[in-house]
Amino acid sequence: MDTLQALREGFAAALTFANLMWALIGTTLGTAIGVLPGIGPALTVAVLLPVTFSLDPISAFIMFGGIYYGAMYGGSTTSILLNTPGETGAIATAIDGHQMARKGRGAAALTTAAIGSFVAGTLATMGLTFFAPVLASVALQFGPAEYFALAVLAFCGVTALLGASLARGLFSLFLGLALGLVGIDQLTGNARFSFGIPQLLDGIDVVILVIGLFAVGETLYQAWHRGREEMEVVKLHDFTGMNRDEWRRSWKPWLRGTAIGFPLGVLPMGGSVIPTFLSYVTEKRLSDHPEEFGKGAIEGVAGPEAANNAAAAGVLVPLLTLGLPSSATAAILLAAFQQYGLQPGPLLFSSRPDLVWTLIASLYIGNAMLLVLNLPLAGVWARVMLIPRPLLFGGVLVLASLGAYSLNRSMLDLGLLYVVGVVGLVMRVFEFPLVPAVLGLVLGPLSEQQFRRAVAISEGDVSVFVTRPIAATLLVAAAAVLVGPWMVRRWSRRPLQEPAAR
Amino acid sequence: MRFLARVPLAVTVAVLAAAPAMAQPAYQQLRIIAPAAPGGGWDQTARVMQQVMQRTGVVRTPVVENIPGAAGTIGLARFIGAERGNGDALMVSGLIMLGGIVTHQSPVTLDDVVPIARITGEYEVLTVPAASPFRTLDDLVRAFKERPESISWGGGSAGGSDQILAGLIADAVGVAPRRVNYIAFSGGGESLSAILGGQVSVGVNGLAEFAPQIEAGTLRALAISSAERLPGLDVPTLREQGVNVEFENWRSVVAAPGIGQNDRRRLEAAIDAMVRSVEWRDMLQRYRWLDRYLAGEAFARFTTAEERRVREILRELGTGGEGAESPAGAGPYPLFVLAGLALFGCAAVVNLRTHRIPNAEARWPKWRSVALIGVGVVLNLALAERAGFVVASAVLFWFVARAFDERRPARDAAFALGVSVAAYLLFARLLQLSLPSGWLAGWL
Repeated sequence: MDTLQALREGFAAALTFANLMWALIGTTLGTAIGVLPGIGPALTVAVLLPVTFSLDPISAFIMFGGIYYGAMYGGSTTSILLNTPGETGAIATAIDGHQMARKGRGAAALTTAAIGSFVAGTLATMGLTFFAPVLASVALQFGPAEYFALAVLAFCGVTALLGASLARGLFSLFLGLALGLVGIDQLTGNARFSFGIPQLLDGIDVVILVIGLFAVGETLYQAWHRGREEMEVVKLHDFTGMNRDEWRRSWKPWLRGTAIGFPLGVLPMGGSVIPTFLSYVTEKRLSDHPEEFGKGAIEGVAGPEAANNAAAAGVLVPLLTLGLPSSATAAILLAAFQQYGLQPGPLLFSSRPDLVWTLIASLYIGNAMLLVLNLPLAGVWARVMLIPRPLLFGGVLVLASLGAYSLNRSMLDLGLLYVVGVVGLVMRVFEFPLVPAVLGLVLGPLSEQQFRRAVAISEGDVSVFVTRPIAATLLVAAAAVLVGPWMVRRWSRRPLQEPAAR
Repeated sequence: MRFLARVPLAVTVAVLAAAPAMAQPAYQQLRIIAPAAPGGGWDQTARVMQQVMQRTGVVRTPVVENIPGAAGTIGLARFIGAERGNGDALMVSGLIMLGGIVTHQSPVTLDDVVPIARITGEYEVLTVPAASPFRTLDDLVRAFKERPESISWGGGSAGGSDQILAGLIADAVGVAPRRVNYIAFSGGGESLSAILGGQVSVGVNGLAEFAPQIEAGTLRALAISSAERLPGLDVPTLREQGVNVEFENWRSVVAAPGIGQNDRRRLEAAIDAMVRSVEWRDMLQRYRWLDRYLAGEAFARFTTAEERRVREILRELGTGGEGAESPAGAGPYPLFVLAGLALFGCAAVVNLRTHRIPNAEARWPKWRSVALIGVGVVLNLALAERAGFVVASAVLFWFVARAFDERRPARDAAFALGVSVAAYLLFARLLQLSLPSGWLAGWL
């Protein structure tokens, strides 16, 4: 088979000592970057570009691939240990991951994240290896109508995360939607709710909201309740990996997370929020014990982490086959290709097969390297929980403020971070769920823009959402997500009630 | 190459001989601001400048900084505010920023910065997917004239060069620019995928980003906005197909306001040396950019003329400012969101009164701890730009630590300083993010 032969040659080129070194440097650097809140792989690759210009392109791309996969993995570490997601893709992980860490199962959470990332990364890279052109052409079938339908599906999934009180859950969601209104309206170029402040023209960065609600909010909340919850001291003997039961509960979410994350990553829409949360909601819905979710269910870590890494691999499909950048990192990778005089796109596979296949081979290698690197580290990282509280929270706030400021080098962002932190404290005290606000900020602008694009293209005809087959299918799926659990409950209750009636 | 012919041969030869001879760099450091996210046209321009200036020895260590958002107007506001009087900083700018200033009604304009030079230009292409029923520009124009709204034009951000060209074409074929059904996408990737997938009728974009697809045959180029056909690219011009439009998206560099004449002359000389280098020619070819070097007073006059032109076109397009109404009008969505927020806010308050929240009542808050963090945060905000990040971070760290532990202020102070210095070095040195260094500037 052609592909296998090409892949074998790719491995031969990637498995030199020098290239393995670049892969190691890339994955280590990527993991470290992923840990820092607000600093993503896009910026890292951009900063390294001038440094790598003296390298040959193959080595440079092996390193960039390592940074990319490493950053996706590193984001989960702070999520789990400090309830401070480093990137948007790690928000879902924080919900149950941090609860596990508080119960002393931090090492297990980190382990399932590492193995899940490896499994998903490897399977998704295989998808990239064998099905890239087919997948890319399917992804092009997605237009504004389909993206809107997908956003509706995601909104329906959010209903599972609204928490105990519908009113408070929906308030949180609408708070996110309202924040999403701020900034330039993409379609007309008009500024909305920016109050004449130039920095607000670009809207409120989701990273600010996430770091503010989670990291700053959590710190304030801990200070608020200090002395009341000191019983959460972690026991040392728990710094072991996963036990048998946790393995049993993890492997299905890994596979399901991959199945959800990879195709959504291929879609040129960007963002890891939707795949990770759809995976989280799926696990919660399929679980035999949904009441454990939010209190430290390992499925809630295994699924989203797998989805996150699978989506990251999916992003490379349109990039390599069509030259289509669908995320910030993909855009800078594209620029990096161009800097070497290469043009990703329909001709790259035929013009520089050596480079493409070496890059793909190095993705497999980088994945394996990440696993080897991070499995033993899980126990070490978990000891972060033993750092005395004062120093730990001091460090968290310093990192949060640095991350927020360096996003756009704006003092306004820093001020906004602290305001959001206070909002986070109030929401925690009155038991408002935080996650719907983040999802509202991500999904609101997306669904509004795509809806208006779809209607503008169809000259005002709203029927496009039901006449286009993919959009219609997604909307039916959304309806199923919304009423499905209720139907299942009704059905499963009937056989129980009937014998009782007799 | 056509654009090479524009530069007198003698100059080219002189430059070829002179460029490598520059021994002493004119600048130790130069900051190049790209007012866009990594990966776009302005970012690429900044990074190419960085490479060329470093290799030719014009600048020892050029640093690129990205300040993305709102067609560059956020970067512009930041540049004017933070770099005033700094003679060692340049910002990439261009036609799209002019469009952004008009569309977003920016409080700052290009009149507030010092013009240095226009450096590159890029033609635009009209493309359709290979399977499109439109074989030629004529097919498209006929359908467009018959029912303008049925043709959706996909391109970059609203008010940018892509929409401007769509408006110019409409005007030239006798359709009111206001009736152009322009669909703005937020980046090259998004609009490329919509065009490839046939989601919009026709794409209007910069040539460089779309050339690979045209060469591969996945997209068919109906027309190019140049005056004559380009060598090596078999695409007819708008003009030869009866649409009297010629257009290019230019990029330039500007300097900070409040710099002296000497600083200005030095920057102009540095750009002059850059555009005359062999390395720069190579890069122009690689990125398919046109040499559009124009410096000094001529460039300032050009900017003023362009601004007037852009303002007029955008008014005809109905983009930006008051009374803006495109086929994709804003609609009732913001109202819906605000109504929902108010409704569920009230519901949540009612809900909180009827359901007791154990969190809020049963446990006494530690007001003192929260207040200490508050003091740390306020000091952090006040000190960050004045005293520098290390001082501000250390103060924040110490107050937070103090909020959790009253007993060991000295230990906390030591840790605070250590963590802040380490974090500063990591961000500022390793990641090259410009953090304010303040009082400790000389030490770090």
